[in-house]
Amino acid sequence: MGDPPTLRERSAPSGPGSPGPVGGPLPGTDDPHDADDPALQDEVLSVAFWFDAVGDHLRRGLSAVTGTDARPADGAAGDVPPDLTPEAVDRLLTVLANYAVGELTALDGASGLVRQAGDRRVKTFLATQTLDEARHLEVFVRRIRSLGVADPDAEIERRAHPALLTFRERLLSLVDEGDWASALFAQNVILESMERTVFDAHRRNADLRTRVVLDGVIADERRHLGFGENDLGRRLRDDDTGRLARRLAEIRSQLDPLVAESFDGVASRIGLAPAEAERLSDDYESAVRRLGLV
Amino acid sequence: MSEFLDRYSIQRWLEMCPQGYLAGTTYGHDPDQTEPDEILENETLREDAIRTTVQLVVGERCALAASSGLINAAPDPASKTFLATQTLDEARHVEIFTKRLRDLGVGADQLEATIEHFANPNLVKFAEVLLEKVDAGDFVAGVVGQNIVLEGMAFSVFEMMEAMARETNAKFAKTLSGTIADERRHVGFGENRIGSLIREHPEKKAEIQDMQAEMTYWMLATFSDSFRQTEKVLDEAHRVAEKSGTPVGRAVWHGTDLASASAEEMEAVLAGTVLDEFRTRLARIGLDYKSPPTPAGV
Repeated sequence: MGDPPTLRERSAPSGPGSPGPVGGPLPGTDDPHDADDPALQDEVLSVAFWFDAVGDHLRRGLSAVTGTDARPADGAAGDVPPDLTPEAVDRLLTVLANYAVGELTALDGASGLVRQAGDRRVKTFLATQTLDEARHLEVFVRRIRSLGVADPDAEIERRAHPALLTFRERLLSLVDEGDWASALFAQNVILESMERTVFDAHRRNADLRTRVVLDGVIADERRHLGFGENDLGRRLRDDDTGRLARRLAEIRSQLDPLVAESFDGVASRIGLAPAEAERLSDDYESAVRRLGLV
Repeated sequence: MSEFLDRYSIQRWLEMCPQGYLAGTTYGHDPDQTEPDEILENETLREDAIRTTVQLVVGERCALAASSGLINAAPDPASKTFLATQTLDEARHVEIFTKRLRDLGVGADQLEATIEHFANPNLVKFAEVLLEKVDAGDFVAGVVGQNIVLEGMAFSVFEMMEAMARETNAKFAKTLSGTIADERRHVGFGENRIGSLIREHPEKKAEIQDMQAEMTYWMLATFSDSFRQTEKVLDEAHRVAEKSGTPVGRAVWHGTDLASASAEEMEAVLAGTVLDEFRTRLARIGLDYKSPPTPAGV
């Protein structure tokens, strides 16, 4: 086992930037996934470490919506913040429904990757990610319910954007095909970057409850991105043929248009200015580019 | 249905598991607990502990593959959510039993070879039967195989081991008590969720009962193999206890005192208990227990 104080220091909450370049322990990086030390990797990818890492925000995030979890009776309005107009609630529901689709995709994707992982520690990490994604789905569903929706599943289906559903199909087909690197790229880089970009933007103007929920989710996404970036970085470093880099670039060229279409589509449904949607796309582009994978 | 599934939410899981019975533990036990010297310093007992723990790792790896593999096939988000908590539970079980192998002196670089060496081939077959259903995306059969048969077996095996370890190995007993609490939740979900699905798909009954019979066959073969090797270990454990002046004590489980029972008696009480549990739990979801084929030569 690694030295706990050192690990705690290295895994202190990281800033909003990328975990850094890939391929090993780098000076100044604060992402524990970057460590090459097997003992440290053992701990970083463990359930025990996950309990420590998520305990606090997990309690805060869930309690933000748990207190109002009771299903609204007889179509009562639930817990709508007083300053939200009916139109604003409708827009928020569309946004939350599409977040839920993203999380459902991430849940199915992460769980599908567990068995494909060759390394027991990677399986363990993906099991924690599976739980994270399920928790995100649960908090978004609870938030939808707290806004007065009696059947959140039907509401999600009704409001899901087709481009996001196509993205979901494409990602899950990569998982089903057993294409580890491509699936992990789509899941832990593309999808996580897309979600993080949107959540970062949304939290700035969100009501308090939604912001607390998003903060917890963002903290998790950071961990998932760190893992994906590190795993793929190592594979790219070991691939002298350049085949993997070409494959990932191909996946990206297939998925990026769906990401952009999802941004545009949802933005238009909620009445966001085109410039805002464009900014989201740019932020997403920058986030993926910063990782330096493709 | 969804109200019942609310009982299996992540919020409930958090309150019961990491913030409940696992609070303050490290790898499932109290931080200051260690494996007893009697095991670490006796090669026969240490090897038996390693062999036993390897079977737990193999079983939990199967459960991890199955629970995660079933998420995509689950028919509703609430079932996916429960299976996500189960996936994390199973990953934790793999982790704590793997950690026990390390505590018993298995080096990090020897882990996989040790698991391969000691894994009971019958248990591997048992796992393969279940994972075939999971791979096929058969949610109903997969959950019966996982949450009724596999978890039902694990529940009784862990209970028996916990009863045996309570007086002699507090660390292992504590580790097992957390896993027993988890398994109880998993079995509960299986019974509650699958009953309604079986009623919706009565045509699947025969196929699922065949799977249960096949899994039962390999489970009993695993028990038989395992207890065949236990007699020698029991003699050694009694000799060590006598030498150190440790009182033998009693560990009564389902009417059998495990502290003084023979290997044959242990196998009988374990197999009997598991099969009774199968009958009860299968009946609750509207299935009949199907006896396994008689092993060749018996």
